[in-house]
Amino acid sequence: MAYPYVSDLEVRVISKYFGDPAHRRIDTYVERGGYKALEKALALEPDGVTDEIKASGLRGRGGAGFPTGIKWSFMPKEPTRPHYLLCNADESEPGTFKDRELMRWDPHQLIEGCLIGAYAIRAQHVYIYSRGEFFEVNQILARAVEDAYAKGYAGEDILGTGTTIDITVHQGAGAYICGEETGLMSSLEGDRGEPRVKPPFPAAVGVFGMPSTINNVETLATVPHIVLNGGEWYRQWGTEKSPGTKLFCVSGHVRKPGNYELPLGFPLIDLIENVCGGIRDGNRLKAVIPGGSSVPLINAEDARNCELDYEGCVEVGTMLGCASVIVMDHKADIVKQIRRMVDFYAHESCGQCTPCREGSAWTARILRRIEKGQGTEEDLDTLMEMTEQMVGTTICVLSDSIAAPVQSSINKFRDDYLELIRRGDQAGAA
Amino acid sequence: MSDVPLKNPGWAGNTGEFDLTEEQIRGEDFVGERPLHGGHSSVSATMPYMLIEKNPEAELFEGEYQERLKKILTRYPKKRAALLPVLSMVQELRGHVSPESMDRVAELLDLSPAYVRGVATFYTMYNKRPVGRHLVQVCTNISCNLCGADEVLAAFLECTGTELGETSEDGDFTVIEAECLAACGFPTCVQINSRYFENVTPADIPEIVKHLRAQVKESA
Repeated sequence: MAYPYVSDLEVRVISKYFGDPAHRRIDTYVERGGYKALEKALALEPDGVTDEIKASGLRGRGGAGFPTGIKWSFMPKEPTRPHYLLCNADESEPGTFKDRELMRWDPHQLIEGCLIGAYAIRAQHVYIYSRGEFFEVNQILARAVEDAYAKGYAGEDILGTGTTIDITVHQGAGAYICGEETGLMSSLEGDRGEPRVKPPFPAAVGVFGMPSTINNVETLATVPHIVLNGGEWYRQWGTEKSPGTKLFCVSGHVRKPGNYELPLGFPLIDLIENVCGGIRDGNRLKAVIPGGSSVPLINAEDARNCELDYEGCVEVGTMLGCASVIVMDHKADIVKQIRRMVDFYAHESCGQCTPCREGSAWTARILRRIEKGQGTEEDLDTLMEMTEQMVGTTICVLSDSIAAPVQSSINKFRDDYLELIRRGDQAGAA
Repeated sequence: MSDVPLKNPGWAGNTGEFDLTEEQIRGEDFVGERPLHGGHSSVSATMPYMLIEKNPEAELFEGEYQERLKKILTRYPKKRAALLPVLSMVQELRGHVSPESMDRVAELLDLSPAYVRGVATFYTMYNKRPVGRHLVQVCTNISCNLCGADEVLAAFLECTGTELGETSEDGDFTVIEAECLAACGFPTCVQINSRYFENVTPADIPEIVKHLRAQVKESA
């Protein structure tokens, strides 16, 4: 037992071997049924693999929730140019820590998923774009890729089937925006990680100008299980529209923070109370960000009515994102935390688009002013108006990601802001 | 199992009750350090360490490093794509990426010096100026912040006797704030050179700093 914390309510499909260092070895992985899915996939037509993923209803785990099988089917069927599969392992959304766990505990599961994905989209090269900060994780991954080559699971003539798929592990260098799919492509090409205008979409013009598909680590880690057990099997969990299991990264003021794999549609309040042992120090729940720092935060009341799937989160005015649940108790300083997040976005804005570059910096400055007790009520109106202009006006959604926490916190926790403003007024009067 | 996470001696998420020692988790048996020549070409771009002893005058792309460079270049259809790994390699050797190093890289990859500068300054992991033997990066983003990251940062500054972003007089420490390190469930996360320290509290810091100072002595 004992990956930091485990719960009886979990359904551990992709996180089954978290906490077991032996599983990193290729021999152990194969003994436990590893690379069987690759063998099965290679015996099918590429479209057969895609169909199985379509049948499973698997949706992209990077945040947007786009159906994976459908994404794969956008790739040209008759390759006239090289195709590329990109694995997005540039995990850096505040609150998210699942991909690092998937890579360091079960690197071969990801490699197998990458190979199957590449076969399905007729790609001969996979780039795993991993975070530069993950020095140690990348060592584990590197060893695993070398072993996969040595045993004939990767490279030329895989398992004697004549299929060639290469894997290259590429390392980023510390830029949040490289987790955006087109930003990642720019970065992989050796450029600044600036996102590109879509269309053209990656399936037509992707990395190095070639048809490309980009999938999150968790999505690709799930693929071998679906190929092995069938799409219908995966639908036994989750909801009609959001099938399967999902890793929930819970952080903040809970007793047992960590990664928990649960069926989609799991009630948020049960996750906090039953899986994570409740709010720590006997405090009360104040706010939750259910999907990483880029989604709106919700108050305790909405949290009680929130089901954790792509649709359920929208119903209470937020998004599932990458299911990074950040929990705040009644002592949390909402304004400070929002300001800290906006500081982050201001730092990470690539600077291409004016609303984002200027908006992020000014939002941070106004929030800092309020935090110091030098704000006014009009500042809140300014923030609302300004962030409204930052939504949908830029190349990528980093700008929208600033608006979400700012607007939702002013809407749901206006009193927290007003208290700081009034406290400042009183201090000024005295 | 206790509600309170156990003290974490290192990176491997061992906030639980692992039977393995740190050495077993980190040792050759499970991971192994990457060889200087980069190993198999598929992973030759994933190397660099942040070494304790940084030599700003180190020769670039010689011997095993040249071998690694050759392997990296075979993995991309365009030479320019090797820019990030090559800059990382420079930093591994020299500890930071100076304008002079950038010019060398530009020459090597047939790029303009201005282009390389534009890319190198875009990414936060490239140190644009020398840093201490230990680069201490404290995550102060939301999840760690909720659990007291500001206090951890303050304690590091106090214990090492440095200002934020500055290098201590003995050259041992540079302490900076980091953005989310993707270890939000193990707050506060601190990256020190190549290594993650998780579940760090202000009380742990004197011991960590002592440990780091001992490492400096060992490497000298």
